[in-house]
Amino acid sequence: MLDEALAEIRSAPDARALQQVRVAWLGRKGRVTERLKTLGGLAPEERRAAGAEINALKQALEQAFDERERELEAAAVQAQLERERVDVTLPGLRPAAGAHHLLSQVMHKLTDVFRTLGYEVVVGPELEDDHHNFEALNFPPEHPARDTQDTFWTSDGRLLRTHTSPMQVRYMRDHRPPFKVVVPGKVFRNEAVDTTHEAQFHQLEALVVGERITMADMRGAIEAMAVALFGPGTRTRLQPTFFPFVEPGAEFAIWWTHPKTGKEEWLELGGCGMVHPNVFRAVGYEGVTGFAFGFGLERMAMVTYGVADIRDLYRGDVRVLRQFRGVA
Amino acid sequence: MRVPVGALAEMLGELPSVDELVATLDGLGLPVDAVLELPGAPRGVLVADLIDVRPHPDAVGLTVVRVRAGEREAEVVCGAPNARVGLRSAWVPPGTTLPALGETIAAREVRGVRSEGMLASPRELGLFDHQGGLLVLGDDARAGSELADAWGPETVLELEITPNRADATGLLGVARDLAAKLLLSLRDPSRSEALDLGDPDVFDGLHVEVADPERCPRFTLRRIEGVRVGPSPVWLQRRVAAFGLRPRNNVVDVTNLVTFELGQPSHAYDVRALTGGVLQVRRARAEERLRTLGDDELALDPDDLVIATPERAADGAPHALAAVGGSRAIGLAGVIGGAGDSVRDDTSDVALEVAHFEPVGVRRTARRHKLHTDAHYRFERGVDPALPERASARIAALLTEVAGGTPHTGVTVVGTVRAAPAIDFRPSRVAWLTTLEVSADTQRAMLERLGCRVTIAGDDAWSVAPPSWRVDLGIEEDLIEEVARLHGFEHIASSVPNLAFVPPAGDPTHRALRDALVENGFLETISYAFTGAAELASARAPAASVVLTEPQGVERAVLRTALYPGLLAAARLNHAERDLALFEVGRVFGAEERERVALLLRGRRLVAPWRAGLEVDFFVAKGVLEQLAERFGAALELRPAAADHLHPHAAAEVLWDGRAVGQLGRVHPEVAAAFELGETFVAELELPLALHAPALTPLPRQPFAERDLAVIVPQGVTFAELRGALAAVAGPWLISLEPFDVYEGEQVGAGRRSLALRFRFRHAERSLADAEVEACMKEVMQAARAAGYTLRT
Repeated sequence: MLDEALAEIRSAPDARALQQVRVAWLGRKGRVTERLKTLGGLAPEERRAAGAEINALKQALEQAFDERERELEAAAVQAQLERERVDVTLPGLRPAAGAHHLLSQVMHKLTDVFRTLGYEVVVGPELEDDHHNFEALNFPPEHPARDTQDTFWTSDGRLLRTHTSPMQVRYMRDHRPPFKVVVPGKVFRNEAVDTTHEAQFHQLEALVVGERITMADMRGAIEAMAVALFGPGTRTRLQPTFFPFVEPGAEFAIWWTHPKTGKEEWLELGGCGMVHPNVFRAVGYEGVTGFAFGFGLERMAMVTYGVADIRDLYRGDVRVLRQFRGVA
Repeated sequence: MRVPVGALAEMLGELPSVDELVATLDGLGLPVDAVLELPGAPRGVLVADLIDVRPHPDAVGLTVVRVRAGEREAEVVCGAPNARVGLRSAWVPPGTTLPALGETIAAREVRGVRSEGMLASPRELGLFDHQGGLLVLGDDARAGSELADAWGPETVLELEITPNRADATGLLGVARDLAAKLLLSLRDPSRSEALDLGDPDVFDGLHVEVADPERCPRFTLRRIEGVRVGPSPVWLQRRVAAFGLRPRNNVVDVTNLVTFELGQPSHAYDVRALTGGVLQVRRARAEERLRTLGDDELALDPDDLVIATPERAADGAPHALAAVGGSRAIGLAGVIGGAGDSVRDDTSDVALEVAHFEPVGVRRTARRHKLHTDAHYRFERGVDPALPERASARIAALLTEVAGGTPHTGVTVVGTVRAAPAIDFRPSRVAWLTTLEVSADTQRAMLERLGCRVTIAGDDAWSVAPPSWRVDLGIEEDLIEEVARLHGFEHIASSVPNLAFVPPAGDPTHRALRDALVENGFLETISYAFTGAAELASARAPAASVVLTEPQGVERAVLRTALYPGLLAAARLNHAERDLALFEVGRVFGAEERERVALLLRGRRLVAPWRAGLEVDFFVAKGVLEQLAERFGAALELRPAAADHLHPHAAAEVLWDGRAVGQLGRVHPEVAAAFELGETFVAELELPLALHAPALTPLPRQPFAERDLAVIVPQGVTFAELRGALAAVAGPWLISLEPFDVYEGEQVGAGRRSLALRFRFRHAERSLADAEVEACMKEVMQAARAAGYTLRT
């Protein structure tokens, strides 16, 4: 009888079938229960022995039921997990990854550097006038230096700023020294457009004014920026040049390892100099000195990230924009 | 500015290596853009005379030329227009290689005539670019000699001259700087002892009247007689070619040489062109015209300064200018000469103009007529006002040498040289401004080497008179730069100033906004500030209020009045992309310049290639702004509002903290179609968008009670209106009222929709009793019914 019951228990395919087997054996009308009912007609000695036997049978069956139940539960869990299998190699469901424009990344990197160096970041208008863009910066009318900055004039006599330097004038008129500021922004030149020249581009310019600011301070600032951007040991070079709004004026270059060619070379970045006394005069400053330096962001972006055609930066082709993701 | 190293060596003697020279010039602020290696004449090319020229028997336009090169004679077939008997030119015998052509010349038959090599043009020889035929040589070139012996290779430095360094537009200025830096002695061709400056008291038959001494402070005219116009000697052609010019004839080449050598432009007239020998410098008359050497017919402006000569000779009296009536312009002063009055092949007597013109006037004239000449380039920067007499003497000496001319003993000189004022200079300021330690003695020596006159007025008080050729030196800082330049900028140390300045915090570049959008999956674009009026119109953006006068094409002719047209254009460019999320931060130019952000969304937001994503609709777009507002701690509200470029029923005004900052909506289908787009959403908001620092509110201790209610309202009643009306009567404990379902369809009837609302109530200090909440809801239901809405159960 035990073997018969155990065989039924072990072959029950699921919880429901197992329950039926339980009822069939241990239920109120189950075979074991029925046998228990026959005990009353037996002699006391026999009854004890038979009782013990039936109890043993009952316990054995209970144990078998429990075991089978656990087996079935485990199998059900396994089956559930099996049903929940996913193909981890299918693509995920996601929002697209965004990206800052490469020029914004360069700008942010630089403004981060300058903030760390204690500079205030300020911005100014792109539509300017002759006074702020030229006259107050010591470009007299009809000065040949104006030819170096081909200008977009507007029909109402204003202009698109040719450099970020008008902000020097605006900032100085509104503040008193000492200060350290940087101005990032868009500038415009009416020049022929090709792979390295655009009619619209970006500059970043620094202006520091105090009681006695020296050319060594200027070099130190340029060097600090160079080190922050390109690592310790970066060298700088100053060579005399002319910009109407500085005197002395210089061009600065940074000795760096070109990321693409691996070659060490001078990267000519921009212009710098000591603020011209006429500029201070135009804003009503006296008894101070200062330096300014500035450079184009496109060039830095192009050499750093291997952009071959400057126009790619402005076309808005998402196949290009997406490549700006993940650039540090 | 091209600087032949050989010409520099003539002024300075022995020079350092080219590499060192380049480094020195770079360090002086005369940066070398390029080092050019000009080839000499190819080996084997011989100087030869054309002794016979006859037409080719079988080819129109070709000639058969007999050449004699010393002992050798040969016949060559030639196609040059200037082949004539007596010409001295360059013969390329068979077997000679011409690198410029990449070819070895062989003897060959040309239409039945044997040609022993060829006669060569300057271009074929690789000497200079000229289309006019054979190289023309002068008497100095010995027939039969190798041209390469006289015309060797040359190293030329291409210098970038900054606008302040007028002096360095001549070789002399460059040489002066090098002499001062390298402690070399300078042989200045304008200071040669041998120069004959002429005697102003001797009358040479020429008269000069300067009617505008402001614009022409100095004018000299020298008569040079018996000039034979012809080819320049090889050395002169070679030098002129090295400057990047085309040799023409000995007179023109000499004036060009001196323009580049001394930086002093000049002009040679045929004396016969000067009516009565009279030359006048005056303003142009209205309506006056001039045909220039470049063969342009110019309509002159009364602001133009011209060189003129009387219309017809006065009888007898030389000074009777007024009596002859008018005069005609024969040149644009300081810019370009006239077509018919300059030196011609048969000119014998030359009137040589060497003058000083005021820079601004020259610049205005050159700009007005869009002329760019070697003369104007120098005058507009400022030529040495003391130079004309010496430059004139130098030209006269050269014309004597190369054209057999005889300078008249007299010279006409009008005007005086005004010396530039001396500059107060404190030598201590060099260290103060640059930190370079240069002793006062050294500073003085440097300034003197540059041509300054230094007068020591007191302790740290000098008076420094700059040389006439350094028109850029005007203030103390200019002199500080000179000292620093000669000492070397490379010696400037690095330091960090200790300034009492704490930068204020702020986000002027809208970094937080950009970061938020990028994290939300947007790609940042930067488009042009200029655009086309047509593009603005098809985007239904406000018409441009700022127009460029000289745009780069009609598509770049005006300044943008909105950012979204640029995003639409970008979407059009990217039409192959189904899903787009773009933004731009930039400036727009309406009545005033404003900074804005614009967003564009189309396609899907959540994407997997194998599953349906989240299609962008109005609410997906709105969600972007809501998330932004939540991030910034600002309150966002949208109100239905029409905008030309947006769908009339899917457009909203955006309120940020209650302030109207822009619009959000579906692009009007007609606008979208104009940009070849389907359903597209754009937003454009004024910057800056207010950002609030978070403030922590204590967490509530009491539970909330929740009740739902569905209200059927006519289409046109917005959720915001309904919420406003119901919240107003829901009592003081209402903490939120949100829609959890919106239904339109048969069950509620056409023209209506059902809004299922969830109300939450909470008392700050205690639990609310059911009855209290029910009482609130009763008020709400009454108000809804009173408004005519149906309650759905």
